[in-house]
Amino acid sequence: MSESMYAQLVGLCAAVLLLCAVLIVWRRSLHGQIRLLAAQGWGLGVLVAVLGIHEGDGQLMIVAVLVLALKGIVLPRVLTRATVTDNGDLREETPLINTTASLILVALLMMLAYLVSRPVQALGSTPPVAAVPVGMAVTLFGFLVLSTRRHAVSQLIGFLLLDNGIGTIAFLTAGGVPLVVELGVSLDVLLVVLILQVLTSRIRAEFGGADLDDLTELRD
Amino acid sequence: MTGPVIGPVTGVELGILGQLGLVLVGVVVAVTVPPAVRSRASGSVSVLLGAAGAATGAAALAGREGVVELPTSLPLGHVALQATPLGGFFMLVAGGVGLVAALYGIGAGHGPSTSRTFCAAFPVFLGALQMVPAAGDAVSFLVAWEVMAVASTVLVLAEHAARAEVRSAASWYAAMTHLSFVLLLLGFAVLAGTGGGTDWASLSRVDPGSPSASVAFVLLAAGFATKAGVVPVHVWLPRAHPAAPSQVSAVMSAAMVKMGVYGVLLVTLRLLPGGPSWWGTALLGAGAVSAVYGILQASVATDLKRLLAYSTTENIGLMFLAAGTGLMLRAHQVTPAADAAIVACLLLVASHAAFKAALFLATGSVVHASGERDLDRMGGLGARLPVTGLAFGVGALGAAALPVTAGFVAEWALLQAVIHGARPEDRLVAVIMPIAVTVVALTAGLALLTFVKAYGIAFLARPRSDGAAAAVESSGSMQTAMISAAVAVVALGVAPGALTRAASSAAGVEPGSATLTGVDLSGVGASLEPLALLVAGALALAVVGAVSAAGRRQRRPVELSWGCGGVRADPRMQYTATSYAEPLARVFDDALRPERDVVITHAAESRYLVERVQFRQQVVDLMETRLYHPGLRLVDRAGTAGRRLQNGSIHRYLGYSFLALVAVLLVVTL
Amino acid sequence: MSGSEAGVNLPALTVALSQVVVLVVLSPLVIGLMRTVRARLEGRVGGGLGQPFRDVRKLLAKEPIRAKGTSWLSVAGPLVLMASSLVVCALMPLLGTVTFDRMPDDLFVVVSVLLLGTVAVALVGLDAGTAFGGMGSSRHMTIAALVEPTVLLAVYALSIPVGSSVLSRIVAARLEDPTSVFSPVSLLALLALAIAVVAETGRLPVDNPATHLELTMVHEAMVLESSGRDLAWLELGSWLRLGALLGLLATLLAPWGVVTEVSAPGLLLAALALSVKLTVAATLLATVEVFVAKVRLFRVPELLAGSFVLAFLAVTASYLVAPG
Repeated sequence: MSESMYAQLVGLCAAVLLLCAVLIVWRRSLHGQIRLLAAQGWGLGVLVAVLGIHEGDGQLMIVAVLVLALKGIVLPRVLTRATVTDNGDLREETPLINTTASLILVALLMMLAYLVSRPVQALGSTPPVAAVPVGMAVTLFGFLVLSTRRHAVSQLIGFLLLDNGIGTIAFLTAGGVPLVVELGVSLDVLLVVLILQVLTSRIRAEFGGADLDDLTELRD
Repeated sequence: MTGPVIGPVTGVELGILGQLGLVLVGVVVAVTVPPAVRSRASGSVSVLLGAAGAATGAAALAGREGVVELPTSLPLGHVALQATPLGGFFMLVAGGVGLVAALYGIGAGHGPSTSRTFCAAFPVFLGALQMVPAAGDAVSFLVAWEVMAVASTVLVLAEHAARAEVRSAASWYAAMTHLSFVLLLLGFAVLAGTGGGTDWASLSRVDPGSPSASVAFVLLAAGFATKAGVVPVHVWLPRAHPAAPSQVSAVMSAAMVKMGVYGVLLVTLRLLPGGPSWWGTALLGAGAVSAVYGILQASVATDLKRLLAYSTTENIGLMFLAAGTGLMLRAHQVTPAADAAIVACLLLVASHAAFKAALFLATGSVVHASGERDLDRMGGLGARLPVTGLAFGVGALGAAALPVTAGFVAEWALLQAVIHGARPEDRLVAVIMPIAVTVVALTAGLALLTFVKAYGIAFLARPRSDGAAAAVESSGSMQTAMISAAVAVVALGVAPGALTRAASSAAGVEPGSATLTGVDLSGVGASLEPLALLVAGALALAVVGAVSAAGRRQRRPVELSWGCGGVRADPRMQYTATSYAEPLARVFDDALRPERDVVITHAAESRYLVERVQFRQQVVDLMETRLYHPGLRLVDRAGTAGRRLQNGSIHRYLGYSFLALVAVLLVVTL
Repeated sequence: MSGSEAGVNLPALTVALSQVVVLVVLSPLVIGLMRTVRARLEGRVGGGLGQPFRDVRKLLAKEPIRAKGTSWLSVAGPLVLMASSLVVCALMPLLGTVTFDRMPDDLFVVVSVLLLGTVAVALVGLDAGTAFGGMGSSRHMTIAALVEPTVLLAVYALSIPVGSSVLSRIVAARLEDPTSVFSPVSLLALLALAIAVVAETGRLPVDNPATHLELTMVHEAMVLESSGRDLAWLELGSWLRLGALLGLLATLLAPWGVVTEVSAPGLLLAALALSVKLTVAATLLATVEVFVAKVRLFRVPELLAGSFVLAFLAVTASYLVAPG
């Protein structure tokens, strides 16, 4: 793989990650958001694979396959199952901040991500380092979704977005984490999602909806 | 008043002296001439004064020099007036605006604007305005500044007897303009204390990187911003402009607020060149907020003069944005784009002067002819006031930055400067430039809507009130004034080369290889030739027109062409200015927070039948209600509490004196 | 074309004139094609490719009427729209990147000329003095105002790699290095620009050009009161805008075929390439239009905010993913 092609591939993957994150903020349909999350998982997997091929690192290739399988296929499936049983209520109707404002916030967060990743840029001017702000931005967008959406599944999506962002930063700066750690983290995430999925379905069975605003009385 | 001048008198010196003399003549004429011809005589002197200012400014721009020193009876030494290219540019702008405004004033002579006070204050205001950019040291600057402030306050008060809101507007204006003066005084005092003198040379000895320079910058920038009407110290603008007679609003909006921009450029380019990068960033930020806030308020305003006042805030914001961009880029060594930004700032100054003068004068003519200032009650004025409509239309094109007007060239230059400014190496710059582009673009878009609304609602369709229906065109001198301002808008747009060269020499940057009709920002590799565009457009128009004329079918006049299937057109069915801006007000609901009031009256027989629906919408200035009113209430409460100290009893006052004496003695002994 | 250069810059004049001619012929065909594609997908026969031509010919021959109380703008507005569209067609490098030295096809200038046409139509809508004209005009200008940030930011993003906002230089750079078309910067900017074009030309989901319900109209509401040749110019002018803007998008995405030096066969080939690009773009747009519904007017800002963010990302992407 030539250097310019490597740079372009890393750039393209980063752009896909970013675009998916923005579109997740933009769309209201939960199914659409999940599909975008899957696409983002694929983008992250391909990014890891590109890094692996460039470094000639076999372990990274395994991680790539793992990421692809987990974030591109398994987690979206689980999420879809969480929404499928929902009685047709598949839209995030009233987020705390309206979509237009969230989108403008996204633009500002992007700038913030770019500014705060200044120290990381000192590491060098390789293509992965140049793309670090993308990871930072995805993390911030994840936080935004997590803190402004009412639907429990939307919040889950925000959490996964956050996780994807952190993963992106890790792969771009350190060339990935050791396989064992990655495995552990992935399993953790899977576990969290599964537990939340079970929780959501139980809540729904009990209260008939998963709107978090109705759940303020769940203290005991 | 003219002091002893030693040595041969240069043209510029003669020009400055001539202006001072004309001010004197203007005052004498206003006081002595009988009322019947007062406005004509005094107006003519003011026209000459404006022309003298413009000529002197042009000479100073061409590189002529001259210093005039006048002795004063104040204990401050003499007043020094000196022409520089930068000052000359602003003197030219002020003189040009003064000239057309005075010309307009000749014909507008009726009621309070022919009073002795008004006629005397107008030339004093113009003269002081033209002397501010000529000031050669801080003392002269402040003297000219204060005379300008006081004279303009008197002019704002001209119609105080007829309209109650004028008094409140004048007190807001007086308070804000003196706040500006105090800030400037403090700022110059800091600089003079560090530099060891009040002349510009001593002030510029201060190291721009030092803390005292930054303190002075903040004070001075705040003072100039207050005069310029930058958010959040803009509150006087939307009050004072509607209150003042139109020719005064024109001078205030098109020329006086620019002195704030002049002040900022004076401080940052001449006195303290090479300041830190955050100066530029601060100016840019203030400018961006003003630009967006100003145009948003303008787009929902229905009082035509209030709309124009907010549009002034917007344009001043763009000028601050341009100046800030220039300074920031200079600090980051992106010199070509920085130079282009500063030239763009000056282009904005000149173009805004031209189109805002045209707009205010045309508005004055509308008010004069129809007695209406509310857009919701205008309509169909284009047919009744053709000259006014033309002037307003051209001014509106300029304000909307459409080709081929001066506003278009200025905005193009600003955009070119900004897009060539970003360099990924400088992270902060790289982040700020896209935001600047967004601000300029959003401002341009909203300005488009605002001025389509202003022109379309006022001048097209059917009259919405009796006043608008009975309007007749204003007098000859008013028409001449409006049209000359409109001609300036187009001329500066078609042949911007000379202006660009003037702006380059005023800013002290290398002028591009500009021809008369072209702008060439050679530093950033962009050029524009509006004349070519005009020729292309005219050709296209000619072709289409020829095809159209070949049809030869006459237009058949009808009562109503379709009218949604109706048979008659009621003027009340038309969209008004309020309804025109309604979608926008909804989109920016969170930023504007309009107060809506819907009253539904039900019929007596059944509450399912609606008899009448009343809708009222008012957009208040959030800055005013959120920022100023709490502060004013606090001051008010303190004043009420303080009043308890005085009850009129002589014993209490003697008691205060006695206590004070004892306190002083105690302090002295301890 | 500017006075001092008349006759000197013959190649640029040739390109500009042939672009105008080609677009005047192609734009109505594009509209006809879009209507036909729509009709076929909806199971109707449709009016055929040439129907827009027949419409314009009919309108040009008809007697125009003039309502009482309308001003000169009702007559001049359509002409100004048409002239601005023609200038835009002449300026854009759709057939060749040869331009006038004194009148470069600066994107900011192109946008301003387009806006002049927008304003002309909005004023025509207001001039009629009826409820729907004002309504259309108000909505039209609101959308135009909100589209502006997207457009200028997208222009900015496109100008970064070339260091200039001159369109022909951008297209020429893309011809030289076709891979740059598929850089994130370029793709994001084009996506943003595409949404802006859809909004600006009044296509679905922002405005439904085929609507018969006045309350939902934007563009149609403004031209309700026009008739005869005035209406013909309004229609043809907006078709030309659509043709030129679609052509611009297609050319930026697929710059092949655009000539850098003028020759008769080259221009012919370029015209052929342009018609292929326009056919593909129009078919695509019409197909998408079948599957989307018009969004509520107050949801349009959401769409435009989205496109704005895309443009913004395009600008930042130029710093992020393409270092140096």
